[in-house]
Amino acid sequence: MSQKILFINAHILCPEQKLDQQGWLLAEDGIIRGVGSNSDPLPEAKDIAKIDCKGDILAPGLVDMRVQSGDPGAEHLETLTSLKQAAAHGGITSMAVLPSTEPVIDTAAMIDSLQLRAGRIDGPSIYCYGAMTKELEDDQMAELGMMAAAGACAFASGTLSIQNAQTMRRIMTYAAMLDKAVIHHCQDTDLTGEGDMNEGETSTRLGMLGQPAAAEIVILKRDIELARLTGAQYHASHISTAGAVAAIRQAKKEGVKITADTAPPYFMLNELSVSGYDAACKLNPPLRTETDRQAIIEGLQDGTIDAIASDHVPVNLDMKAQPFTQASTGASGIELLLAMTIKLVKTGTISWLRAFELTSQFPAKILKLEAGSLKPGSRADLVQINPDQSWIIQGRAFKSLSRITPFEGQPVEGQVNGLWVGGVQIALEP
Amino acid sequence: MNDLRAQASAANLTGRHLLGIEGLSVLEIQALLARSSYFADILTGKTKDDSLSGILRGISVVNLFFENSTRTRVSFEVAAKHLGASVLNLSASGSSVKKGETLIDTAVTLNAMHPDILVIRHRHAGTPLLLSKHVDASVINAGDGRHEHPTQALLDALTIQRKCGQIAGLKIAICGDVANSRVARSNLYLLGALGADVHFVSPSTLLPAGIDQFGVPVHTSLETGIKDADIVMMLRLQTERMQGREIPSQHEYFNLFGLNMDKLMRAAPNALVMHPGPMNRGVEIDSAIADNAEKSLIYTQVEMGVAARMACLEALAQHAERTR
Repeated sequence: MSQKILFINAHILCPEQKLDQQGWLLAEDGIIRGVGSNSDPLPEAKDIAKIDCKGDILAPGLVDMRVQSGDPGAEHLETLTSLKQAAAHGGITSMAVLPSTEPVIDTAAMIDSLQLRAGRIDGPSIYCYGAMTKELEDDQMAELGMMAAAGACAFASGTLSIQNAQTMRRIMTYAAMLDKAVIHHCQDTDLTGEGDMNEGETSTRLGMLGQPAAAEIVILKRDIELARLTGAQYHASHISTAGAVAAIRQAKKEGVKITADTAPPYFMLNELSVSGYDAACKLNPPLRTETDRQAIIEGLQDGTIDAIASDHVPVNLDMKAQPFTQASTGASGIELLLAMTIKLVKTGTISWLRAFELTSQFPAKILKLEAGSLKPGSRADLVQINPDQSWIIQGRAFKSLSRITPFEGQPVEGQVNGLWVGGVQIALEP
Repeated sequence: MNDLRAQASAANLTGRHLLGIEGLSVLEIQALLARSSYFADILTGKTKDDSLSGILRGISVVNLFFENSTRTRVSFEVAAKHLGASVLNLSASGSSVKKGETLIDTAVTLNAMHPDILVIRHRHAGTPLLLSKHVDASVINAGDGRHEHPTQALLDALTIQRKCGQIAGLKIAICGDVANSRVARSNLYLLGALGADVHFVSPSTLLPAGIDQFGVPVHTSLETGIKDADIVMMLRLQTERMQGREIPSQHEYFNLFGLNMDKLMRAAPNALVMHPGPMNRGVEIDSAIADNAEKSLIYTQVEMGVAARMACLEALAQHAERTR
C-alpha cells in the first residue's frame, strides 16, 4: 500500500521551480508528487497523512558538500551516528564527506565500506568523495574509475592542496572522462609555510606568522588554467579571499567550467576574531580581512559563488586548548550551516530562494545528487523550518561530538521542526 | 614630562597580569619607569633602602621558561631575590612538559601550589595570555614568540631615560630582523607612547606584513634609517625563528645591515647603541661598537633589566597581597 503525506499551510520554497509561495506539497512513497499554492485545491485521498506546517518553511533539505567525518579513524571526535544526528538538526538531508580520514578513502572498497555502514543508520544520506591521490599524497592518482563505479560522488582532497601541476592536470583530465567534479582546496604550501592566520597587520600585531591571500589565489589561478586546458568540471572549495572571488568571476565569464563554495566563517567573521588568540577561530583557510569578507558576500549575491558548505571539521578541546600556533585547525559547523545562511536572508543580503540555491539546489547539481528540488518526481528530502525561532549557539548543546565553534554565544534564528529523507521522517532528539 | 623622577612607592597597574606593552596606559608605563629608576638608584649605589629585601617577603615567584634563556631568567631571579621573594625556576627541558603533559595541565598543576607570580616565556605568541586564564597567579610575559617582551621594552626605556634625561623627542632607530622580533614590537609601543620618534630599519624580506599600518617610518637602508638618530637599537638576527632564506647570507647582511663605526657616523654625533642580546658579533653588530664603552649601552641594559623587573614584580605582587 502506498504511503501518502500531504504537507499543508507551508511556506513552499523551491529555487529550481522559482517557487516562493504559501501552499501544500504531496509526497507518495518517498517521491514528491505535487506542489500547489493555497488557491489550488488540496489533493484528496482516503489514506493520506496530513502534516500541518503552521506557516513554517518547507524546502528541499540542505545538501552539505564539505563535511569531515571522524569515522573512520577518529570516532572519538565524530561517529557516523553523531554526524547524522547533527546534520538532521541542521536541516541537512544529504552530505558529502571528505576522503581525509584514517585510513584515507582512496579505494572502491573504502567507499563501499563507508556507504554500507552509513546506510545502516537512519538519517540524512551520506555520500563519499574519493581521494584524488593515493593516501592523499601529492603525486600518484588514486583509482578514480573504480571509486566512481563504487559511488564516489566526486573527487576531493580534504585540506591537501595538490602542489604538482602535472598531477593536478592528470586528475582533472581523468575525472572529466568519468564525468565527475574535482573539488579542490587551494593553498600554495610554500607561501603559507608555518603561517597560523591571515597575513597582515593583525598577524604582525599578534606576533604570529601569516598565510598571504596570494597562497589561495596562486593555486586557484593555476587550476583555472588547467580547467580550461582539460575541460574538467572544477570546483574551488571554501574560498576565503577577494582575489579568489575575482578570479572565479572572470573565469566564469570566459566560459571555464568552474564552480565554488564558501563556508559561514568566511562571510560572517574576519581576522580580528583571532585577536584574543582564540583557537576556535583557527581555521584552514584562515579568517581573512574585512575586505575579503565583503567580497565573499558579493560573490554570494552575484552568483560567482555557487554554494555554501558547513566545512565541518571534528575537533575537541584537547586539540584547541593550546597556544594558537599549536592548536588544530577547523571547527564544528554542520549544525550552523542553515542558521548562518538564514542570517544572510534576515540581513537582506540574499533572498530565501537564493539561500536554498546555495545550500541545496546547486551543491546537489555540482555533485549530481538526487536532491535539492521539490519538483514532482524528486526524492522527498524535505526540511520544515520556523525561520523566526531564535536561539543561542552553544557548543555544548551540539548533537555533534565536536563542540567547538567560532560562533559560540551568537544569537541566531531558524529552528528545524521536521526533516524527511526519502519521505521518511527523521526523529530529532530534543 | 617629569619621567626622570624616582618613585618611592610601588607602581599601580590596573590589570592583574603584565602580558604586553600594548594595553598599558602611558601613566602605567611612567609609574613603572619611575619605580624602576628608584630601584636602579639603589642597584648602582646612589641611594640605599634597608627595607628592600622585605618588599616581597612571603611572595613566591615561579620562572616558567619553555624557551631557552639565560639572561632574562637570571634577571628575573636576581630581581625577585633583591626584593626578598622566594624563587623557583622551571625549564621545559627539566619538567613534565617533556613527558607529554599539556601546557594547560602544567599550569593547572603549578597553580595548585599557589604561586603568586608566574613569569612565562614561550616560543609561541599568546601563550602567557592563554595560561593567565587558567591560573590564579599574576602572569608576567617574559617573551612570547614574535609577539611581545614587555620587560625588555621597559628596561630599554629606563636605560635611555637615565642616559638621555627624557625619551620624548628622541629619534630611535630599531634596526634588523623586525619580522621575528618581539623586542621591536614592544619597544615600538612603549617608546612611541612616550613620544619618541621611532623608525624601523630592515631588509624588505624581514619586514612583517602590514607594517605600513603601524604608523612607523620604515627604511630598507641602514644609512638612511639611522640618519641623525639619537639611539640606534640593533636587533638580533633571529636565525632560529627564520622560516627559510630571507637573506642571501650573513656576510651580505653584515655588509648591508650590520652596524659598524662607518655607518654609525650617519647617526647623531652622540648617538648611543643598544642591543637586547645575545649579540651575533659580525652579523648585526661589529665588535668595535659592541665593546665601545662610550657608544654602547649594552651592559647598562642588562643592569637596568634587574631594576625594571623589580618594579614589575612589585607592582603585580600588590594584586597577590590584595587577594589574600
